[in-house]
Amino acid sequence: MSNILSSILTTSFAASIIRIMVPILFAALAASITEKAGVVNIGLEGTMSLCALIAVTCAWKSGSTLVGVLGAMALGILLSLMIGFFAFKFKTDIILCGIAVNTLGEGGAVLLLYLLTGSKGDTQTVMGAWSLPRVTVPLLSKIPVIGEIFFTNQSILTYVAFLCVLLVWILLYKTPLGIRIRAVGENDHAADSVGVGVYKIKYTSLILCGILCGMAGAYMSMSYMTMFSKGMIAGRGFIALAAQAMGRGEPVGVMLSSLLFGFAQALANYVKGTNLPARLVEALPYVVTILGITIYAISTFNKTRKIRARKEKKEQKKAAA
Amino acid sequence: MKSKSLRLFGYVRGAAALLVAFLVALVLIFLSSDEPLVALRYMLLGPAASWSKICRVLAYMIPITFTGLATCIMFSANQFNLAGEGCISAGGFVGALVAIYCPMPTVIHQIVCILAGALIGGLIMLIPGFLKTRWGVSEMVVSLMLNYIILDVTMQFLTQNFADRSQGATMTFPYKSSAIIPKIFAGEQVSYGILIAIAMAVLCWFFLYRTKWGYAIRMVGINKEFSQYSGIKVGAIVILCQVVGGILAGMGGVVTQLGYFQQYRWTALTGYGWDGITLAILAANNPIFIPIAAFFVAWLQYGCELMNTWTTVPVEMMDLISVVIFLFFAADQFLSGFRQKLVVRETKKELAEKAAQQSKKGGEAHV
Amino acid sequence: MQNSEYVVEMRGIDKIYPNGIAANQGVDFLVKKGEIHALMGENGAGKSTLMKMLFGMEQPTNGEIFINGEKVALTSPTVAIAHGIGMVHQHFMLVPSLTVAENVVLGMEPRKGKLFVDFSKAIALTEEYSKKFNLEVDPNAKVMDIPVGMKQKVEILKALVRGAKILILDEPTAVLTTQETVELFRELIHLKEQGYTIIFISHKLKEIKEITDRMTILRGGRSMGVYNTADTTEQEISRLMVGRDVILTVQKDQAQPTEPVLQVKDLEFTNDWNRKMLNKVSFTVRKGEILGIAGVEGNGQRELVDILYNFAKPDAGSVSVGGKSTLGLHQDKLRDMGISLIPEDRMIYGIADSASIEENVISDRFDKKQFNNGPLFNMKAIHAESERLVAEYQVLCKSPQQQVKMLSGGNIQKVVVAREFSSDPVLIIADQPTRGIDVGATEFIRKKLVELSRAGAAVLLVSADLNEVIELSDSLVVFHGGEIVAYFEDTKKMDEMEMGEYMLGLKRQSPEEVRRVVHEK
Repeated sequence: MSNILSSILTTSFAASIIRIMVPILFAALAASITEKAGVVNIGLEGTMSLCALIAVTCAWKSGSTLVGVLGAMALGILLSLMIGFFAFKFKTDIILCGIAVNTLGEGGAVLLLYLLTGSKGDTQTVMGAWSLPRVTVPLLSKIPVIGEIFFTNQSILTYVAFLCVLLVWILLYKTPLGIRIRAVGENDHAADSVGVGVYKIKYTSLILCGILCGMAGAYMSMSYMTMFSKGMIAGRGFIALAAQAMGRGEPVGVMLSSLLFGFAQALANYVKGTNLPARLVEALPYVVTILGITIYAISTFNKTRKIRARKEKKEQKKAAA
Repeated sequence: MKSKSLRLFGYVRGAAALLVAFLVALVLIFLSSDEPLVALRYMLLGPAASWSKICRVLAYMIPITFTGLATCIMFSANQFNLAGEGCISAGGFVGALVAIYCPMPTVIHQIVCILAGALIGGLIMLIPGFLKTRWGVSEMVVSLMLNYIILDVTMQFLTQNFADRSQGATMTFPYKSSAIIPKIFAGEQVSYGILIAIAMAVLCWFFLYRTKWGYAIRMVGINKEFSQYSGIKVGAIVILCQVVGGILAGMGGVVTQLGYFQQYRWTALTGYGWDGITLAILAANNPIFIPIAAFFVAWLQYGCELMNTWTTVPVEMMDLISVVIFLFFAADQFLSGFRQKLVVRETKKELAEKAAQQSKKGGEAHV
Repeated sequence: MQNSEYVVEMRGIDKIYPNGIAANQGVDFLVKKGEIHALMGENGAGKSTLMKMLFGMEQPTNGEIFINGEKVALTSPTVAIAHGIGMVHQHFMLVPSLTVAENVVLGMEPRKGKLFVDFSKAIALTEEYSKKFNLEVDPNAKVMDIPVGMKQKVEILKALVRGAKILILDEPTAVLTTQETVELFRELIHLKEQGYTIIFISHKLKEIKEITDRMTILRGGRSMGVYNTADTTEQEISRLMVGRDVILTVQKDQAQPTEPVLQVKDLEFTNDWNRKMLNKVSFTVRKGEILGIAGVEGNGQRELVDILYNFAKPDAGSVSVGGKSTLGLHQDKLRDMGISLIPEDRMIYGIADSASIEENVISDRFDKKQFNNGPLFNMKAIHAESERLVAEYQVLCKSPQQQVKMLSGGNIQKVVVAREFSSDPVLIIADQPTRGIDVGATEFIRKKLVELSRAGAAVLLVSADLNEVIELSDSLVVFHGGEIVAYFEDTKKMDEMEMGEYMLGLKRQSPEEVRRVVHEK
């Protein structure tokens, strides 16, 4: 036990939490934006998968990881728009659209992988290893503890991810688009009555979601690993949904939830080498997810009760006065 | 009963959706193979090539029929529970253990194994059911997480406690022969499990359409407020339909294992749960159509496998077809233009009839 | 160029819906510039529809609209806004988590650079208009945190900021406290002094008398005329608003009520916006009588029905049927006790639309022994039941297997009624039982209700339809402001003119008179 604790309380463990939480953070931010606009996109898993593949592919074809990231973002936009199209135009239940994209991401990714490389395992052999540049921030990395964790040798997308937390916050709360997104999500009649195009906003939110999912996928195949391999997303898309729910769709809340799940996953990885049952430990992040959203649901449940109780107290005070 | 022409429209729309799926597949086949027509022939006709092959299709039908039935029941109450995927593995595993370690006379052995698998499936589904009813926790996220947890737990027990170390790959000890579900035709792949599956489909149809529980499930799916107002206990029904789903999926795991395998070797999620969703969509949540839909999907799946073996087209083509079916089949507004014209024509006819009836009765003609 | 003394002219307006219901017939509505004009009428009189057409949310079937003398086609709210018309809806169109300023500028947000919202400009704009029109709001507060009165001011500001010169206010004081109402009126007068025109939809006589210049009264979709407020007494208004054009008599024998069935005592309920909707309501419905609840909608009837069927919990008081308390019981226990409900919203509560007629009509009895053979349904018994009910209740359909949503409104209601009446109820709660359905179905349902009553059921009839509640009820109470303000033991001996005054809060009986409805032994 003390073995585990000592290996946890190291900066390298903390750094690994950061590494692990990045794709979840991207995807959870993506889900937040659409949720604010009242669109339920559960197709994150499949989107990330296909974007991860496209990222390496574009990098391979062009020789530049930047192009890889851009390609991933483009595909992310395409897939998200497709969900919107089928959900809004054809009225396919949006949950089923998300499930469809997830299925597409699984089998379709392997299909595409095969078409591109002739292999059904991973892109390594044919495309080689592609890695986004790692950055060590000059001054900040010298700060004890924090410097080692956050600013040393992290993928460039890591910094982008945390920047996105800020950017998404700015978008939602400081820009006209953000205000309209929130308006459409909370009361689309209100938005409609002042001439805001409800569907236009929903599609826009999906585009933004696609961009972020693209980055999540690109990170998976060019930072977390250096290739695309079958099944590599392993449920992160769904964990991101839970992170978004727990963070109430607020950028900072989402970041903290992603941190929590990143921690659970990192813990699972570290504990693998020990005597604890390996596979059970692997289940840890998923268990934490269920516990997390349950606790969140219970607290919301009680919150509404508390509001009523507060109101009743006010009434009693008024009557007594 | 919808009017005849509206029902016909439903079928036509379904056919159109399948056509689109087919076209998409066609395009991809052309892209991925030098001999596309050969590939196509394998995909569509390959399974018909021999009796053996047809039996293979029937064998493949078994697991997805069960998950399809499970999904039908859960979707009928509007519960998007996706843990059929995990429950089929969990049920299969538990049933497998009973098949390996609990000697009993045959027939009783199979029954007990199936019951064990069904039980574990039902118990697992209590979790998302209860969380949804009590605190409104999304059954979708919980069920998705459960799939991974189930895989990890079963793998843990498999590798640590129940593995046959003498084998090269990860697997359990062999099933006792008293537990095996025999094949129908000697040397062919399909076991009596197919009959069990079809029987369950019929049972599920009766459950959903001829019992009070199925009725309550369907009413809750159509209108929760109405159900409560009518006296139906909505929360209990939400839990019930998920538990039944789990029972069916768990059963399916056992029946598949004992009918097809000698040991338990599922080391990854099978994908049958997702097929079940495709089937539920094709069958419009009606259990009696599941076997037909299952046959169709199994045929295509095997056809894709054959196509993959003999040409360069990957087997994942099937997933693509599934996705297109998903999207178009369940699209209410697909071809909505035509439906609109139909509705207008129907309404005009109905109104004319009514007006004729009213004028017979006397009083205001109600438009 | 028409009379430019009128800023709004609606002439010969008809609005006939596809199902044949005529919401407005030949209405002329003329508003002078700079006046506060009341548009009055009961629920269903057609005032909301008329204003929806003025705000471009609906289109008239016939008739013309002129704004400032110019003929216009108001095809959408955006077009209406462009013509200087603004509407403050009864149900606010606000985004709860945005601030007041953000709500005000939604869709026309001032920019800093191209990308960012200039919040200080938005706040400045809000404050500018707020000061100019004396509409005190806190620009930085989130809409979900501000009181209802301020929410309304925000809605008015929204309209003004978009250039509205003509303001339509739909039942603005329905949600306000007395103090907030006083403030609102001050603001409206201020606006009027600045040349704005205000159309004030309401049925609250005292307020109309206080603040409006002229009023147009609608009844049954037609205009009863336009009057100078100052020259018209409340009694005269009441008579114009509340009265029956056609008297539909219902044949019934004199009621001979016996023991009490439904006993409601001191019921109290405050809603989520802290408004007391029921204030010590007590009444009794006896076996063999039809007790009607008359009153303008929004005076507590909705909350009462919800509580009676346990869709809401009262803050205090008791409800019992046949001596047993009903509070907190699940609806299946209520049905076991013999309580049936015809819900006001039949599409949401009354039926499952994509299920068959048969499935709908057995929804309260599907688990009973007579319809089940062990685990399976006894389909023969079920078919027999549904066929019997379809025949008895004259549901016009192809067969009981037809989907309920395919039926006309009247027939859908007959399905609901077939189920609720055939369970041998001891108490029937009928909430707007004939709203929005054809004459044939209406007649049928009313006849059935009387039949059941005379056979011994207790009936509580809640209806905004004056015809219905007067003709059908044996006795009736009038609800106003969450209280019973009048009890008429025999509707036949009632003065209908008087009833209007009770409904509009002009008169109320003494507590002793009202307590008679409790029928204490």
